Amino acid sequence: MGISEGIKSVFTPRRLRNLRESLTGYLFIAPAVLLIFLFGIFPVGFALYVSLHRWRIKRTDYIGLANYTRAVGNLTYVLLFFIALGALVAVYFLFRKIIKKARENGEKPWLLILPGVVHASVFGALLRYLWFQLPTFLAIGDKIIGQEKTRELFNQLLSEAFQEVKPQFNLFFWLLLASVVLGTAFIYLVRTPRNSFYQSQFMLVWLSLAAGIGLAYYTYSQVLAAYAAAMETNTDPGIWPQVITISAGLFLLGIAWVLWEGASKESSNLHFWGRILGAMFLLVGGWLLIGEIPQIVALGDEDIWLGLKVTVFFSLGTVPFQLSISMFLSILLFQKLKGSEFFRMVFFLPYVTPFIASAAVFRQLFSNRETGPINMVLQRLGLEPQAWLFESKGVFEIMAAGQGWDWPAWAAGPSLALVVIIIHSIWTYVGYDTVIYLAGLGNISTELYEAAEIDGANAWDSFRYITFPLLSPTTYFLSLIAIIGTFKAFATIWIFRESLALGTVDTFSVAIFTEFFEKLRYGYASAMAFVLFAIILFLTYINNRTQGSKVFYG
Amino acid sequence: MDNQQKIKTIEQAKSLHWLNTVRHFFVYLFLSVGAFVSLVPFAWMIATSLKSLAETMTSQFLPKQLMWENYVIAWERALFSKYLLNSFSITLITLAGSLTFSILAAYAFARIKFPGRDLIFGLLLSTMMIPAMVNIIPNFLTVTWLGRIGPIPWINNWPALTVPFMGSVFNIFLLRQFFAQVPDELYDATLIDGGGHFRFLLQVVLPLSKAPLMVITVLTFMGSWNALAWPILVTNTPDWRPISVGLMNFVSEAGQEFQLTMAGAFITIIPVLIIYFFTQKQFTESIARSGLKG
Repeated sequence: MGISEGIKSVFTPRRLRNLRESLTGYLFIAPAVLLIFLFGIFPVGFALYVSLHRWRIKRTDYIGLANYTRAVGNLTYVLLFFIALGALVAVYFLFRKIIKKARENGEKPWLLILPGVVHASVFGALLRYLWFQLPTFLAIGDKIIGQEKTRELFNQLLSEAFQEVKPQFNLFFWLLLASVVLGTAFIYLVRTPRNSFYQSQFMLVWLSLAAGIGLAYYTYSQVLAAYAAAMETNTDPGIWPQVITISAGLFLLGIAWVLWEGASKESSNLHFWGRILGAMFLLVGGWLLIGEIPQIVALGDEDIWLGLKVTVFFSLGTVPFQLSISMFLSILLFQKLKGSEFFRMVFFLPYVTPFIASAAVFRQLFSNRETGPINMVLQRLGLEPQAWLFESKGVFEIMAAGQGWDWPAWAAGPSLALVVIIIHSIWTYVGYDTVIYLAGLGNISTELYEAAEIDGANAWDSFRYITFPLLSPTTYFLSLIAIIGTFKAFATIWIFRESLALGTVDTFSVAIFTEFFEKLRYGYASAMAFVLFAIILFLTYINNRTQGSKVFYG
Repeated sequence: MDNQQKIKTIEQAKSLHWLNTVRHFFVYLFLSVGAFVSLVPFAWMIATSLKSLAETMTSQFLPKQLMWENYVIAWERALFSKYLLNSFSITLITLAGSLTFSILAAYAFARIKFPGRDLIFGLLLSTMMIPAMVNIIPNFLTVTWLGRIGPIPWINNWPALTVPFMGSVFNIFLLRQFFAQVPDELYDATLIDGGGHFRFLLQVVLPLSKAPLMVITVLTFMGSWNALAWPILVTNTPDWRPISVGLMNFVSEAGQEFQLTMAGAFITIIPVLIIYFFTQKQFTESIARSGLKG
């Protein structure tokens, strides 16, 4: 009687309905989430695992950060220390957020630190368990070769693999149990409506604290190991001085930026110029210290820096042209003259065309034959025919040579082969950008133009003071997509690669893929991929920061 | 005085009219230049694909005699029928899986309340930042492993080419935005009729979301036709090799025979172009809308 009453009070019709609703939700998302986890999230951890090993088709030794130092030299240590520092700074901000929330509501959630620690340690235990479980699972694939695949055999191998890591799994399991029990218990112990908020925030605090300290300690031990290894050959790796100078340089740059930002708020001229002057000095000092970076990375892999250089050329060559052409075309199309639908469709056509087919066409338009179409045009204009995709010389170098000038090697510019790829890329994406710009133009109110016309603005004025600033969110979006796109670019370049211009067209992604696919260095290629990931995250972050201050949202 | 003013305004209007004509002329001029640049490669491709080998060596633009047999030769030499069929199968299998899973997930994220919903959705969205090159190596290892332990091989077979693409964050994101706009009253009506989420999804939400479903279809098609890195990795026989890899191999193999590679390129493009022309208007509009929301 009592029990059934109790059950009834827990499972009220409303609660039952909510439970059913939740279960339906989980059921609906389960297949997609499972697939995205398996092929989208798990691989990041797996790639990290691969990158810490010497791994050519098969996993061999654990080699720590060696793949990374081979890629970017001692910059690895500097960057990892900074990431660790970033995690510790995040701890401070998270903690401040919790205190603020607690003060606002007059609450004392400090007891919830305890379940927070336990929740956070679950993640640590999970990572530790996976670290041991992953190789045993991978081994199943090798053990099963040559045997008849049966369910029994697989189950047996699976349970063997599992037995090997039982202690690690048990730790994870008990911690998970403890976290669930404690989490629930503390909901009743500390009575606040924001209980789960505090618990999750404390968990985040502990997670980033552990990550920061762990990463710093790991990097520190790796640096010591590098020094120990260098002792044997009687060389000085010079990591500590590098870490210190670069940190000092970045620190100075940071202060310079703060001074610069604050300058505009100063009311007196003296203070204003004082700040600007101070900022300038710090800026120069900071740059001088950071000037160490090229020397550090010179020890890294040349292919990476070449890939980075090519990618930067690729970005600089495509993005500004692509965006200005498409902005111009979209303004023309926006006049809604007869036939603009037709033009829009035509401009969009290159974007929907499979890259591989259009790249094949461009390969022949820019053929190195004298009768190739573009070479014909050049000859009509009285210019020399070019080898295009077979040309590894820089475009400025070739132009200067045409005039008979001497040209310094550092200013050679992108190779002519890369120029073809740049033109193809512009040709492909102008239509896409135009369509997005058209949508952006549609969001600008016509009243603004009418008001400007009454004020006597001409067409250029309305473009300069209305259209251009109001399109800036679209421009930022498109430039971010385009720049990141050049870092990810693979398919077109793979098709355009010709043996003679090789290396001068290999962007970062292509360099990674060749390392993996042709040289079969899985571990090293994974490390390179993480460098790429870091660059993309950095670009996105910079873009978001500048977007906040510069973009005008109508 | 009055008359003079009238004349003045008429003159102004006339000059404006004249100015407009000039302006329109220039607008059309620039648009035509843009269209010309967009279309020239296509024209050159089609023209070259109909030339004889000797003519491709010369500088003339149009073929003297239309060599339709180039298409036959290209078709036979490069196994285009096989590759096209492969690409269609890959696209259809991917679409079937990805549409089913994405529709269910997007519906749940848009209309069902459950604990952790926004957290999970945010986590999924953040995976869009991960560059494909990070995932490609572990996924290759995973797929090889799955093929070894599973009942059917994954490499050189449809699972490796389709299953990893069935869970698409972008599709879920796109569909969720449309699903969230369906008015709540319609759901209440379904409830009164004795239906639940599933019936509401099938009978009300999906018929209202034809536009995003079409966009996903076209984008999946384009994606399979553009995919290169992954198919190169997981196919080393023609059995399941898609048209993208097929064309790439054909281009390097038929290298100097321009008329054949151009015929091959045109064969590759046709299916995508047909789909684009049929869905053109809604497709461009949805791209614009999804792009702006980024």
